[in-house]
Amino acid sequence: MTRPSENSPGAAPDTGTALATTSPAATPSTTTPPAPPAPGRRTWLDTTAPGRALQVLGRAVATVWSNPKARAGLVILGVFVLMALLAPWLAPYDPHDDSFGRNEPGSAAHWLGTTGNGEDVLSQVIYGSRISLLVGLVAGGLSTVVAVVIGLSWGYLRGWGNDVVNFLVNLFLVMPGLPLMIIIAAYLQNGGLPMIILVVVITGWAWGARVLRSQTQSLRSRDFVTAAMFSGESAPRIIFREILPNMTSMIAGSFFGAATAAILSESGLSFLGLGDMATVSWGSMIFWAQNSMAILTGQWVLLFAPGLCIALLATAMTLVNFGVDGLSNPRLREGSGR
Amino acid sequence: MSLLEIQDLSVVYEPRGAAPTLAVKDVSLTLEQGEFVGLVGESGSGKSTLGFAVTRLHKPPARIAAGRIVFDGVDVAQLDAEELRVQRRGGFAMVLQSGMNALNPVRTVGNHFTDVFAAHGHVPTAARRRRATELLDKVQLPSTVLDRYPGELSGGMRQRVSIALALSLEPRLMVFDEPTTALDVLVQHAVMDTIRELQAAEGFTAVLISHDLGVVLESAQRVVVMHDGEVVEDGAARQVFEAPAHPYTQMLLSHYADPRAEVVELPGLERRAPAVTEPGAAPASAPAAGTVPAAGTPATGRRAARDAIVVDHVSKVYPPPRRGEQPVTAVDDVSFRLEPGAAMALVGQSGSGKSTIAKMVTGVERPTSGTVTFGDLQVDRLRRHQLKRLHTDVQMVFQDPYSALNPLHTVEYTLTRPVENYTGLRGEAARERVLGLLEKVGLTPVEQFAAKLPHQLSGGQRQRVVIARALASDPQVLIADEPVSMLDVSLRAGVLALLEELRAETGVSLLYITHDLLSARVITDRIMVLHHGRVVESGGTAQVLRFPEDEYTTRLLDAIPQPARRFGGVA
Repeated sequence: MTRPSENSPGAAPDTGTALATTSPAATPSTTTPPAPPAPGRRTWLDTTAPGRALQVLGRAVATVWSNPKARAGLVILGVFVLMALLAPWLAPYDPHDDSFGRNEPGSAAHWLGTTGNGEDVLSQVIYGSRISLLVGLVAGGLSTVVAVVIGLSWGYLRGWGNDVVNFLVNLFLVMPGLPLMIIIAAYLQNGGLPMIILVVVITGWAWGARVLRSQTQSLRSRDFVTAAMFSGESAPRIIFREILPNMTSMIAGSFFGAATAAILSESGLSFLGLGDMATVSWGSMIFWAQNSMAILTGQWVLLFAPGLCIALLATAMTLVNFGVDGLSNPRLREGSGR
Repeated sequence: MSLLEIQDLSVVYEPRGAAPTLAVKDVSLTLEQGEFVGLVGESGSGKSTLGFAVTRLHKPPARIAAGRIVFDGVDVAQLDAEELRVQRRGGFAMVLQSGMNALNPVRTVGNHFTDVFAAHGHVPTAARRRRATELLDKVQLPSTVLDRYPGELSGGMRQRVSIALALSLEPRLMVFDEPTTALDVLVQHAVMDTIRELQAAEGFTAVLISHDLGVVLESAQRVVVMHDGEVVEDGAARQVFEAPAHPYTQMLLSHYADPRAEVVELPGLERRAPAVTEPGAAPASAPAAGTVPAAGTPATGRRAARDAIVVDHVSKVYPPPRRGEQPVTAVDDVSFRLEPGAAMALVGQSGSGKSTIAKMVTGVERPTSGTVTFGDLQVDRLRRHQLKRLHTDVQMVFQDPYSALNPLHTVEYTLTRPVENYTGLRGEAARERVLGLLEKVGLTPVEQFAAKLPHQLSGGQRQRVVIARALASDPQVLIADEPVSMLDVSLRAGVLALLEELRAETGVSLLYITHDLLSARVITDRIMVLHHGRVVESGGTAQVLRFPEDEYTTRLLDAIPQPARRFGGVA
């Protein structure tokens, strides 16, 4: 039975995920053509689970990278991530250091000038990226997780629970986001960053859940889902092993969408003075600039620099979203069109 | 001068990030005015690509790599978009397989005609309605259709509308790309009749693209067979039918047979000895079970089927689709018994309730009244979590192998899951069993197939995986819902032979659901013909098909393309 077959080099005997990329389908002539092991263009060799996860991730990044728009987005995103990670080395001064002259224009010492409190603007912009990225990734991630769990079970299961979830999601959808956020933030005053993240998650998951639910409903009527039932699979297993992987691109898209919204929300809340004003974020920078009437004093950079960063980061996320389409489609993924 | 001259045409697909594929290779073809040409080939043969290229409807990544398409003295391959648009009138038109879905659902049929007339300005405003009525009359539709929306028409009617629309430009060349494939069997037959009559009356040149050599041989004067992007046979229909020159054509032809014949043979089903013989069968002889000697032999497998499925006076009524309408009775008082080890066919056109019966037998749906029992299990009372017990013994083979496999899971994963769930085997033992299943369904070398993803398999191979999955729990009953209808003709016999072989080997009983009487004839012993949810006829398969008593059975039989009927003689 376990005859040693003339395997392509990558076909490791265990955890056989090694794929010799043969040209798909289109072998109509005979009944069972044991397709000869066509020389694979690419072969992946792996034996361990983490190796497999890495390989999947690598393939995903490669897929996204192949789209020019997404590539631009990834580059911008990468720059911001580096900026956040290397902030202590990149920033010329401590962002809280207010020992400089006030409202100074740009100079060799302070490229973007100083704030009304005498802090270095460039340093603040650099450190501010940490907060924005952190909120974007954490809040975006959390609300995606909530959206996935609720959206998928909502789409797959039937019965009275469905109606309850339906009511809840619709409730969150019709409530206007920003006012709700302001009210919640006002109640949870001084909660700091976790509070902001919580607020963004509470108000941000409903859209994703709705979108994922409709996709789940369309997938659940596919034969392979019924077939999984016939294979004796449990409902959670069908939802998370059969349906979920087919929505990778949608979930990734939903994540980037949620992250963008989270970044904008955080800036919005900080700008309104509802965030933690002690931390330096792009939103709070604009808040303070507005407070000190930076426009009137001619220091438009104070408003412009953090604003531009917010816009750029949001744009980068949106651009990346263009490239995630190919993720769920193994045919696109291997670039073998049919 | 000939109407269309294709010279050394090559069409290449150039998808981004993949190697280009040459779909049509150096094809030369000449069509005369008024010819009815059938273009036959299986999926991947390039027939549709050729059809699209000729009408210049091909889209990237397809590209005409070389050659000329001379239509009435003009090289179509060189025209730009606007010249092409003008050319469409009095030039060439195309009717698509999904033509019935090509109508805009929010506009009436009449509006569709108006659009075409307005775009080309060849019919004065006042005469438009009259002209549209004329056109509809040609495809045998009443003029009342003009004021209706596409959603209110049946599939066959919509396909007729799209043919009428194509006719409205008075084309001299009409390309029909699988015009009836998406339609129901009986409707298919009627639409093909219309196309034939229309072609004879209007005298346009018709190209009928089809995967079904039978359909083409029945209609066309001339048959062109394509294989792997090349034309392998080109000749008059009668000649192709009687003396096919190319082995590929011969192979295709060998897959056609008359289910009414005394002996039915398909390639790959030789094991079944000279299929069915009923010595001295007369309409009077009582239909009895087990009239088939060869296949009915009791199982020699490890475990014979022990329990029968008993369906007793089962009805299924669905609530009305819209308020104020009548409830839909899908299945109406059906009773039957599937004996252990038997093979029974449920046949009927779409909407006859045959798939609903399958759902009730597998516990997916519950009957409105009546009972379904399997052994000591009352199937119609099973709770959701009890279904697993039923599915240990009753498994299903799905119709569409392209959607029945999760595109993201390897064959091994797909097969390992039921093995682990039902047999409790783990690790090496489970893998051993998975490879055994692959071996059983003929996917060797097994190691290699185990590692593949569905899109790396052909349709026939996928269907084998689906069958292997159904066998994983070592079931007593297989329900096969049109298991071969999505496959190429030449692949069907192989899958049927596999089912037949598995039945002999494991003693599994088979409920075979189909509209295809030929396949029913070769792999089942008993048959039930369903019409509007009622059983109109049942009995031994050979008996019923050779001497049908119900008028509906006769209609189903007549709908099967049979070139032999046109040319006389036996295939």
